[in-house]
Amino acid sequence: METKSNETQQIAKSPSGFSIIWRELVRDKLALISLIFLILITVFVYGVSLILDQDEIVRVDLFSIHEPPGEEFILGTDYGGRDIFGQLIIGTRNSLSIGILVTIMTGVIGVIYGLVAGYFGGQIDNIMMRILDFFLILPFLMVVIVFVAIVPTYSVLSFSLIMTAFLWMGIARLIRSKALQEKELDYVQASKTLGSSNVKIMFTQVLPNITSLIIVTMTLNLAANIGLESGLSFLGFGFPESTPSLGTLLSYATNPQTLEYRWWIWVPASILILLLMLAIRNVGEALKRATDARQRRG
Amino acid sequence: MSEKLLEIKNLKTSFRIKDDYYAAVDNLSLSVNKNEVLAVVGESGCGKSALAFSVMGLHTRAKIEGNILFKDHDIANISSNDLNNLRGNEMGMIFQDPLTSLNPLMEIGDQIGETLILHNKDLSAEKRKEKIIGLLDKVGIPRPERVYKQFPHELSGGMRQRVMIAMAIANEPELLIADEPTTALDVTIQSQILELINELKEDMNAGIVLITHDLGVVAEMADRVAVMYAGQIVEIADVHTLFESPKHPYTRSLLNSVPNADKAQDKLHVIQGIVPALQNLPREGCRFKARIPWVDDSEHEENPELHEVTPGHFVRCTCYKHFDFPESKEEQHGIS
Repeated sequence: METKSNETQQIAKSPSGFSIIWRELVRDKLALISLIFLILITVFVYGVSLILDQDEIVRVDLFSIHEPPGEEFILGTDYGGRDIFGQLIIGTRNSLSIGILVTIMTGVIGVIYGLVAGYFGGQIDNIMMRILDFFLILPFLMVVIVFVAIVPTYSVLSFSLIMTAFLWMGIARLIRSKALQEKELDYVQASKTLGSSNVKIMFTQVLPNITSLIIVTMTLNLAANIGLESGLSFLGFGFPESTPSLGTLLSYATNPQTLEYRWWIWVPASILILLLMLAIRNVGEALKRATDARQRRG
Repeated sequence: MSEKLLEIKNLKTSFRIKDDYYAAVDNLSLSVNKNEVLAVVGESGCGKSALAFSVMGLHTRAKIEGNILFKDHDIANISSNDLNNLRGNEMGMIFQDPLTSLNPLMEIGDQIGETLILHNKDLSAEKRKEKIIGLLDKVGIPRPERVYKQFPHELSGGMRQRVMIAMAIANEPELLIADEPTTALDVTIQSQILELINELKEDMNAGIVLITHDLGVVAEMADRVAVMYAGQIVEIADVHTLFESPKHPYTRSLLNSVPNADKAQDKLHVIQGIVPALQNLPREGCRFKARIPWVDDSEHEENPELHEVTPGHFVRCTCYKHFDFPESKEEQHGIS
């Protein structure tokens, strides 16, 4: 019995997926710092916004319009006398929530759609891809503007749903192309000869083999989605001022007065967007390298 | 012995190229008995694998006509549910390339377990594990408890082929199709794998279809041999007859192309030309005609059929009666 346990200990376990990713992150200091930064920001923002009252922050206070940063307001106030620091925290939380929600929803829809189209191929694939093409040629911005005008109650969820409806195509196409490749491999055929059904093969055989691609794409999509939300809000088609996001803070800069003399309103939000997107991107790149043995550093 | 397990009748498997369907397996009839190894030989592109895939129902976009009778079912016209009940349970398949036939992200135990879960639902998890380890042991894998937890990339090619075999035989199928099971393996492993398949045949009383282009393997393993050329069977006989008195020019050319260790040879015999592509295949007359140009046209049949030469020995076309290998190069090219 003793020799047997010795023997099992001697088997070198091949590194698991997480340990490969971890090694890659440790090797890439920038990505590690980015990850820590992201975690800190997320925890801070979600933690503090539990204490902060959104209604309190967005209440107009005519006695403290355009206050520069000072003791009472750490980052000053906007033209309605609203605390910029509070808006920044709530705004970051909202932006992050939308980014994550949209990424997950587009991910789920895109992966299932792409997997079905790619796995079955042929006519099914043809029809599904033509439907996708239809969504792809819709002018995203215009359609979103129309939806913003139509939808009466505007919340994080409804905004995410609108964005999801027009953003799932990219990942669906990517997954489809990979599924097309993967289903030709012998192990899929072998699994068929064992009597597995198509659905089972799709989700237990093909899906695990493309997870690395899904993780990397979704991480990089997260950065893009946060940027997109900020862009829409900046243009005035995102959230109203009563629901601050990083984009609404930025949009104050459309006023030349604010842009030139009241930097405290828009600079912090701009810097935060920049840092967030860079950090997510760095982590995403590290993940990408971790999933490709040829590019790995660790 | 002569109980028919699988009977293929007038099978025609066609693939679409551009807008037309071309038959890769053309009007083929064949039967496999219980406890028998039927070898299917032929060059690459003769339709051997297309035949195997038709029997397993793996073609997704091919047009399949004719009947494939297996027990009470006709696999050519069966619902996918019924097919899934058969596959893995009563028929199994061993693939050519063990390096790609296993899912790289699944532990060996789980991969073999998949078919047990599907077809043997009452088996408890512990019993299942026991059975899988038993199977691994049966196919000759050392330390099966350890391999159970390993991933395919941690095993060698021969081990992986053994795992494939274990998967195929997990539910003791009555029909086992081995599609070039030893092509990707080196010679020593080859003989071990073949021995294993032979043992399993004895154990399970199963019918085995062995697809290969290695005549050595055929001589060693098969009970009967079907020689395929361009989607048709050109000769079928039991293994002794086929090796001792081959009739069809193609069979004789194939046997003649095998290097012989007993006598010194400068050059190996080569069958001229290649198997024509599916679109360019002559659908009328003797399909092998183009590759033996020195044989006169009048010696071929117009519509070659299988002729029974001796009981159980069938040959297609009449050209075998006059066929001989040419003496000189010129003659071979039909110039003389």
